Amino acid sequence: MTDATMTAAIARSEKEASERSPLTRAFIYAALVAVSFVMLYPLLWMIASSFKPDDEIFTSTSLLPHAFSADAYRRGWNGLSVGFGQMFFNSLVVCILVVIGNLISCSMAAYAFTRLRFKGRGFWFALMLGTLMMPQHAVLIPQYVLFLKLGWVNTIMPLVVPKFLAIDAFFVFLMVQFFRGIPRELDEAAVMDGCGPLRIFLKVILPLSTPVLATAAVFSFIWTWDDFFAPLIYLNDIEKYTAQLGLRTFVDATAQSDWSALFAMSTLTVLPVFILFVLFQRLLIEGIATTGMKR
Amino acid sequence: MASMGDTSPDVGRFARLQDQLAGYGFLAPWLIGFFVLTLGPAVASFYLSLTDYSGLNAPHWVGAENYLRIATDDERFWTAMNVTFTFVLLSVPLKLLFALGVAVALNKGLKGLSLFRAIFYLPSLVGGSVAIAVLWRQVFSGDGLLNQALNMLFGYEGPSWISNPSTSIYTLVLLAVWQFGSSMIIFLAGLRQIPKDMYEAASLDGASPARQFFKITLPLLTPVIFFNAVIITIDAFKAFTSAFIISDGTGGPIDSTLFYTLYLYQEAFTNFRFGYASALAWVLVVIIAFFTAMSFLSARYWVHYDD
Amino acid sequence: MTSLALKKVTKSFGAVDVIRGVDLDIAAGEFVVFVGPSGCGKSTLLRMIAGLEPITSGDLAVGGARMNEVAAARRGVAMVFQSYALYPHMNVYKNMSFGLETAKMPKPEIDARVRKAADILQITHLLDRKPKQLSGGQRQRVAIGRAIVRDPKIFLFDEPLSNLDAELRVQTRVEIAKLHADIGATMIYVTHDQVEAMTLADRIVVLRAGVIEQHGSPLDIYNKPVNRFVAGFIGSPKMNFLSVAVAASQDESVILNLAGKQLTMPQPVPVGQGAPLTLGVRPEHIVAEGAGGVSLGTFTVVHVERLGGQTIAYGNLDDKQTLTVALDGQRSIAAGDKLSVSIPAERCHLFGEDERRIGG
Repeated sequence: MTDATMTAAIARSEKEASERSPLTRAFIYAALVAVSFVMLYPLLWMIASSFKPDDEIFTSTSLLPHAFSADAYRRGWNGLSVGFGQMFFNSLVVCILVVIGNLISCSMAAYAFTRLRFKGRGFWFALMLGTLMMPQHAVLIPQYVLFLKLGWVNTIMPLVVPKFLAIDAFFVFLMVQFFRGIPRELDEAAVMDGCGPLRIFLKVILPLSTPVLATAAVFSFIWTWDDFFAPLIYLNDIEKYTAQLGLRTFVDATAQSDWSALFAMSTLTVLPVFILFVLFQRLLIEGIATTGMKR
Repeated sequence: MASMGDTSPDVGRFARLQDQLAGYGFLAPWLIGFFVLTLGPAVASFYLSLTDYSGLNAPHWVGAENYLRIATDDERFWTAMNVTFTFVLLSVPLKLLFALGVAVALNKGLKGLSLFRAIFYLPSLVGGSVAIAVLWRQVFSGDGLLNQALNMLFGYEGPSWISNPSTSIYTLVLLAVWQFGSSMIIFLAGLRQIPKDMYEAASLDGASPARQFFKITLPLLTPVIFFNAVIITIDAFKAFTSAFIISDGTGGPIDSTLFYTLYLYQEAFTNFRFGYASALAWVLVVIIAFFTAMSFLSARYWVHYDD
Repeated sequence: MTSLALKKVTKSFGAVDVIRGVDLDIAAGEFVVFVGPSGCGKSTLLRMIAGLEPITSGDLAVGGARMNEVAAARRGVAMVFQSYALYPHMNVYKNMSFGLETAKMPKPEIDARVRKAADILQITHLLDRKPKQLSGGQRQRVAIGRAIVRDPKIFLFDEPLSNLDAELRVQTRVEIAKLHADIGATMIYVTHDQVEAMTLADRIVVLRAGVIEQHGSPLDIYNKPVNRFVAGFIGSPKMNFLSVAVAASQDESVILNLAGKQLTMPQPVPVGQGAPLTLGVRPEHIVAEGAGGVSLGTFTVVHVERLGGQTIAYGNLDDKQTLTVALDGQRSIAAGDKLSVSIPAERCHLFGEDERRIGG
């Protein structure tokens, strides 16, 4: 390029940028706002509807209840033979146990894969990665039979125990990526300080891993809270139901006649996830983003 | 300058034994889980697929009878295949498109990026829950929110989308596409990794934004597109809750929402045909494995890795 | 104060031999520097002494006791890492006390040791801070402090100055030298920088491709390099290597052909006529326009670097061989100038075809 064509090109692109900018930007902005509005509307409407009487739900699309009433919450809460409180509690117990199980077992596995030297490590690691892509359908039925034989059906054991065995390869993978970023010199310094593998794990690696542990904890909680399938097949008694199962039962029970109560309970089951989202947004988004990064 | 990079310092023969013990000690939970919950059941389920196990009595060997029935004598199997593949073939490209499109739009450095990102991500997070499926059921029913809005805006009186066998599956597709947020975030991360100077150089060369997108952005983004495509597809095959709640566990109306997973669930836990369900499971596994293998093979031709 | 001995030590990573037979005795209280180009194995050797790498064969003895199978923390050695390896989540005090806590030392003793080390290194005011709040030089000192508190018999330093900027490097170098003078412990120091080696070492060990080329005091190595590699590695600017051929070999001297001229070296050289040799002359020993010594012919200046205290001229001899000349002070020479250069005979080094130095 000669000097003249160079300056002309720069001027042209600058002009284009400033010409393009306001109009295209406004257009993109408007499109984004429109899409977000349409996407969020059903959610907002559901929350609003939980405060409306039933007939209003089917006649109004507005986000503001004409006749504000929180009665639906009372009706929904006690709408089944077992109160929703019990079911929320069940969900909470399962979620907390799952978080603990995942954090312990997945960090142990990730530590072994990244920091310890032992025969067969590469082989097991490849298998672990393989399980990431494996669909659960293949193992579902024998797992059920196994839990049946152990007498664990209709308890929370099948929902919780596997998590203490690092069954969620996704979290192992997440932690492996993170641990790889911790400088190996720290391990060496700890060895010079007389630490064995356990002490290095507890005193050096884990304390430096709070971001990934927090990410794993929040995701674990949310995905377990939202889990419907496993509770569906393993929990039979209504007293043991988790919130998701309770909600489904409520749908059946009300035979679609008490929509505001239904929406009220729906809102409540979504609420914890929403709260976690608001509190840990950055963590969640960064956690997701790193899984797609080039390795 | 160690041998592999990921190792702990190693001293002497005895210590090396200690290292092996430590390694297997830390790996023990995963190993137990792998054998007891993954490998064992995988082998067992293959065995079960060759029996008529009902889950109640002892299994009897029936050879390939289950598979034969699937191939020749099971209408519902083909329906489920049809429904699932329709679902996958529609929701995956649409989800990718929306995720990529919105990511590109957001990447222009607009104000309020984090707010938009959060708004689009939220459905991903709650979308798999029963509550949303319930909501969807209402929204797309005869007198639901959608029809109310259509009536209000266009005076159009819509049918019950979920009770109509020809439209019910599309409500599920829509629900899946609604959850494009997590894929969008991965695309955003991928877009950020593209060095800005490439675009600047292209601008100086007179390339239009569209040309830049197709010649720079898209090729460099192919690894992320590939990753997202595989993940989204596998998730699509695993979809269950939405179909279950919207059809009330039936897969209806007239099996129009009979996801494969739902069919499997019915055969196993409603009809107590564990053996048959195992065979169904393995057919799905093979299909997914085939798809994954094909994707990885095809990746060589269109995925551009620059390392 | 403890001695260290390496006997026929080798190290292989799979099929790759990294250390190929090292024998070395280090006396108690010595400051030994391992120096050599990248990949020579100096860091690996250090890590083997530390206990971070297993020794493939051979013996390592500390204070006379065989240490091959002993765990790192029980060898009585302490290491200062290149990138300091400070625990980011612990404050300075904790960083220094961590090893002692692991050894279950009583708290009062730990406290005493930490404070004493902090005092020696003047980092007492930093004890509460976390590593990320410290400058590079301060982190360096904490890393050294962590080693000091363990009261080791042998200190190991793995390129500790390479992450510091030039000025800080000189300052810290002096501090390390003072530390050695104060504590008097045996210290083994790895670097690729020959200036650090020359200034800090009681003894330099020059390594290349997993083998010790030479070890001795800095001046020994400087004055009597045992081969061409060592001669070229130590000394800056680098020694000039001129290709010469033997014209005639006599009992007490040899006549060499260089740049079309002949020069006489008062040194017996037991090789035949026509044999190609290498003449090594250090830039700082070359005399311009002087009398006496061995004449090297005419030097044509191509480029001059003026450092203020020194003037370095790059150029060619008559036969186009390149030559670097380092002259004291500020000289008014410029590109294109022709100077006659010579060098005192005792400053010449002759290297044979096998690259070994000829003569004593």
